Amino acid sequence: MNHLALPTVSYAALAPILFLLLGGVALMVLSALSRRPLAAGTVTGYSVLIGFGALISALAEYGHVNGAGPSSTVASAIAVDGFSAAIAVTVSVVVILASLLSHGYLRRMQIDAPAYHVLALTSASGAIIMAAANDLVVLFLGLEILSIALYVLAALNRRSAKSEEAALKYFILGGFSSAIFLFGIAFTYGATGSTNLQVITRTLGEGVAAKPGLLLAGLGLLLVGFFFKVAAVPFHLWTPDVYEGAPTPVTGFMAAAAKVGGFAALLRVLLTAMPQLSTNWTPVVYSVAVATLIGGAVLMVVQRDAKRMLAYSSINHAGFLLVGIVAATSAGISADLFYLFTYSVTALATFGIVTMLAGPRDDDAGIDRLSGLARRHPAIGAAMAILLLAQAGVPFTTGFIAKFSVIEAVVGHGSIPLAIIAMASAAVAVFAYLRLVATLYRTEDIATVDLGYDDSLTDGPAAFAIGLSVVVTIFFGIFPAALLDFGRTAVAHLLP
Amino acid sequence: MNAYLPVFILMIVGILFAGLSFVASGLLAPRKKPTAAKLAPYECGIVPEREPPQRFPVRFYLVAMIFIVFDIEIVFMYPFAVVFRQLALFGFLEVAAFSVVLFAALLYLVSNGALSWGPAVILTRGMPSRTSESTITRISATKSTDGQAA
Repeated sequence: MNHLALPTVSYAALAPILFLLLGGVALMVLSALSRRPLAAGTVTGYSVLIGFGALISALAEYGHVNGAGPSSTVASAIAVDGFSAAIAVTVSVVVILASLLSHGYLRRMQIDAPAYHVLALTSASGAIIMAAANDLVVLFLGLEILSIALYVLAALNRRSAKSEEAALKYFILGGFSSAIFLFGIAFTYGATGSTNLQVITRTLGEGVAAKPGLLLAGLGLLLVGFFFKVAAVPFHLWTPDVYEGAPTPVTGFMAAAAKVGGFAALLRVLLTAMPQLSTNWTPVVYSVAVATLIGGAVLMVVQRDAKRMLAYSSINHAGFLLVGIVAATSAGISADLFYLFTYSVTALATFGIVTMLAGPRDDDAGIDRLSGLARRHPAIGAAMAILLLAQAGVPFTTGFIAKFSVIEAVVGHGSIPLAIIAMASAAVAVFAYLRLVATLYRTEDIATVDLGYDDSLTDGPAAFAIGLSVVVTIFFGIFPAALLDFGRTAVAHLLP
Repeated sequence: MNAYLPVFILMIVGILFAGLSFVASGLLAPRKKPTAAKLAPYECGIVPEREPPQRFPVRFYLVAMIFIVFDIEIVFMYPFAVVFRQLALFGFLEVAAFSVVLFAALLYLVSNGALSWGPAVILTRGMPSRTSESTITRISATKSTDGQAA
């Protein structure tokens, strides 16, 4: 009786994933076994604790990698490196903030709180799996764990037809893109004989790809799958509808977690598995980046709905992140890591404020509704203004540093035209952001509609999370060195 | 860039084909307005006598979905049973973890009343109590009024 060769598993390296996944399963069992529905506060607190557990284990993994260098575990299917640890830190922060931001909303809308938290924790673990995946099949599993939970989250507000519509659209289009992505994996496997990223890059380095046409087809299909997930133009058409229809806290979570997971996996696949093919993928990513930058910024200007406007704003941000991929240097990757962290925090908090303003039934986020908000509620207005300015890239906020470092990386790479297009699109986007800020501070035409959110104004957890995000946005905008170094060190310990 | 030339040509051909199809169908299609007979559902030539049932109780779908989940579990169990001894303790623990997670899902389903037929419990506070029975009643109600109108 000979035993099979079993993989060694480093549970410490998997700890952030296990925390979120098992935390979600345990919460599901608790909610099933408890006699009466769990109190919303208990569930939020539990979710925040799980997020903190994941955050601490991610930081521990980061520290471990700094000492011992990058490695891989589970038969080299999972990468244990600074990059995955940094993404795990980002996702854990997203989980903590999203739990706090959803608290009042779930109570107000009488949505089953454990269901939201279980799905959010599961989805977040999928994002970390995507970032840590060192094998295309594991990457696909992470993508599905992330996406399927998000499809259900989008439908969570079951009394709203818009929410159901958003979920159905996201589900059908997401299913298509997953199938295309899977085709890409199959073609890549056919051309290189492996789904392991190191084996793929070794095969490509030896120049023995069996069928270059097959390889290029695989690369193209993988890129389409990724571009859909990160909402890059022209694969962005689902974004505004889904962002508008989904419950607003879910929109915030989706904007942060899905983008972090998608970009982390895209960076790893293109830059560690397929750097030899950069002459093939750079023109594609370049042109998609240009389309995404321009499309996101221009379409943002004409929106009449805050959620749709922020959806196009997230598309514009995706363009900037693609610019970092075009740079394809360690400076580009670390700039993208910084961008992902700061974007997640500001986007989550912005959607958190929109949650407060979207009315008692979460069905109206028209920009007119925000008219004169800062006159009536100075604190909320000021927070919203700061977050919008940060997204616009105004100095002394993280948005400026993020955009600056991405553009610096791409200039270092020599793509001056792309840098100019990125800055021009930022200028167009600034117009849309500033118009919204001006609406907040309008003195006449102050919206007199009944906002019905007196309850949510006293929504302590959400207010705390928004305040925290504003502090993070300004603090790291003025003293970005620590966070930038964190990203650089993470990239220095990227599994090659 | 030359490598992408075939792709661009295919794209242009595709766009032309799609556009020309629309133009051709606009030019060639007969311009006759639809009649009631044309709009009726086609049932192999038989004149439809009654409205097809439009809504199923959602429970049928739920049970079908749950069945697939546990069906897949069995799909994993068989190959595991074949190499049970070679996989040793590690394999047993892995499959046990998998089963425990699935069992947790079963607990959740049972507690939410997904498997209970008969009068439904209200699953979530604040949700309208829509049960299989209420749906059936609603369908039969609309049917009978349709019948009267016809």
